[in-house]
Amino acid sequence: MRRSGYEYDVVVVGAGIGGLVCGTYLAKQGMKVLVLEQHFKPGGYCTSFRRGPFHFDAAAHSFGSYREDGNMRYVMRELGLEGKCNIKKYDPCDRIILPDGEVSFYAEVDRTVDEICTLFPDEHTGIKALFGFLINSKPVESAALRRVTLLELFNRYFVNKKVETLFALPVLGNGALPPSLISAFTGTKILREFILDGGYYPDGSMQHLPDTLIRHLKQYGGEVSFRSLVRRIMVKDGKVWGVRLDSKDVITTRYVVWNADVRQLFLHVLPRKWLKRETVERVKSLKPSLSTFILYLGIGEPPPALPEPGTNIWFLPYYDLERAYRYACSGEINRVEGFMVRISPDKKTILAFVNAPYKTPAYWRQNKERLMNDFIDRIDRNVIPGLKNHILHKEAATPFTLYRYTLNHRGAAYGWASTPSQLFTPEVRQRGPVDGLYLTGHWTAQTQGIPGVAYMGLDTARMILKRENRKL
Amino acid sequence: MKDVVREIVSIVADVAGLDEEEVTLDARLVDDLDIDSVKAIEIAVAVEKRFGVRVKDEDLPNLTTVGDIINLTETLVRELEDEKVGV
Ligand SMILES: Cc1cc2nc3c(=O)[nH]c(=O)nc-3n(C[C@H](O)[C@H](O)[C@H](O)COP(=O)(O)OP(=O)(O)OC[C@H]3O[C@@H](n4cnc5c(N)ncnc54)[C@H](O)[C@@H]3O)c2cc1C
Repeated sequence: MRRSGYEYDVVVVGAGIGGLVCGTYLAKQGMKVLVLEQHFKPGGYCTSFRRGPFHFDAAAHSFGSYREDGNMRYVMRELGLEGKCNIKKYDPCDRIILPDGEVSFYAEVDRTVDEICTLFPDEHTGIKALFGFLINSKPVESAALRRVTLLELFNRYFVNKKVETLFALPVLGNGALPPSLISAFTGTKILREFILDGGYYPDGSMQHLPDTLIRHLKQYGGEVSFRSLVRRIMVKDGKVWGVRLDSKDVITTRYVVWNADVRQLFLHVLPRKWLKRETVERVKSLKPSLSTFILYLGIGEPPPALPEPGTNIWFLPYYDLERAYRYACSGEINRVEGFMVRISPDKKTILAFVNAPYKTPAYWRQNKERLMNDFIDRIDRNVIPGLKNHILHKEAATPFTLYRYTLNHRGAAYGWASTPSQLFTPEVRQRGPVDGLYLTGHWTAQTQGIPGVAYMGLDTARMILKRENRKL
Repeated sequence: MKDVVREIVSIVADVAGLDEEEVTLDARLVDDLDIDSVKAIEIAVAVEKRFGVRVKDEDLPNLTTVGDIINLTETLVRELEDEKVGV
């Protein structure tokens, strides 16, 4: 399909899961693809790193939607990758610990419903109705959720705030917004995709997922170049013709897929000439999601009360999630008492995180060590007694670390904050503002999380293929 | 209301990743234009933002063609204008 005069048909900027799925699918369909990534390895927020004997996942630590008809399974199948990456499901995928007790989310939904109803017997009608909605609602019914918040939706089902917190806590973790702010569209999507069908893990580490994609991208004739920061997208007569790297090298291409921070794209990378003033103003006014402070622990002999590996454990010592969110925004992490902790499947490492604001690099330099130790104390006290005596390695990533490795604006964990007013913002949709430019990934104001960006990466690839077929 | 036709065609083309010429008034959203449920919501939000109207949720499943979206939008815009002049 290659047109003469151009080095590539498609340049994908950013080797996050979104960009890799898009590039691999286009290469599979015969297009000449180059993926450019500023980091030295692929994956974006889905990478892993090693410290001596310990393998740590950097951010994403499992994914959802891999049941028979799940979106993630569909994407892997379309790429010809089903079975190429040994994916296991950990059951229960999530456990929520609240002051009155705990509940697990099992693959067997009835068991989960029973546990929740036992804890909140007065709410059993609403609990069953919410599960019914999450499992059976038709896609078009979720249209109705675009302008209400998750809290407004919950109020239709529950009287007791405590039940709301049970469902909203993992949504705060996976969406970085409390129920009063997150759109019900995104909130229910997180519950459906991450929690009701979550807990999948590529055997060994999360890095296997991007590595497998890269391997197949190359098999299909695609190329990838690391340490390649794209500084400029070159446009002529309203149409993309190339990209310029930090090194000043120019690469010519007919299409560019932007899988990175969209603020960077609109404010620095695209020549202003091709942008409407309103578009730039709108993008400047959009609010990113909160970032996270992540703790990585390497453990020797496991403590006796080690929870089951592979399960995301969410802890909150009270019920007021709005309060938890406000604390997260203020950055007083020693007072943010809620967190997520997960033992790795190999039982050698622990990943834990809390929502956190970007602050400044100096703030984190001064506070990182103290916060890390506070955090360990809290996990030891509330979830894994005796943990402190088993730690062989400890380190942490701050919001600034997340920014530094991915260039995601303010270390945002999930792209734009998914409030009803920002959801589906037209200015940042997949079809970009100039011909030949496409946006994909978690900065498109409609999706987040691995299954979400993977599905969108495939969809973006199909948009380009449709375009190609028309031209031929 | 010529403006509505042009704007809707442009929104649908952008969301579906098509050229405007391909978005004919009788094109079927699902069968001809590959508009899935998420894209349908994206279109609804874009229409609401562009025209300042409110698309009723119960109307969404009844939209089958591009022409249907145009008709609905024209009705909504007219209602909005009537409201403004206090009819
Ligand atoms: C702490 C944390 C935990 C999470 N846990 C989970 C989880 O368990 N399950 C789940 O499904 N999701 C999880 N998520 C969310 C999930 O990781 C993301 O939604 C998803 O990985 C985003 O993928 P992406 O491809 O859109 O973007 P990214 O992963 O952000 O990739 C963007 C890529 O673009 C590169 N880049 C940026 N600018 C340039 C440039 N100018 N030139 C070249 N390259 C550039 C970056 O280096 C990066 O590799 C988590 C996120 C965080 C922060």
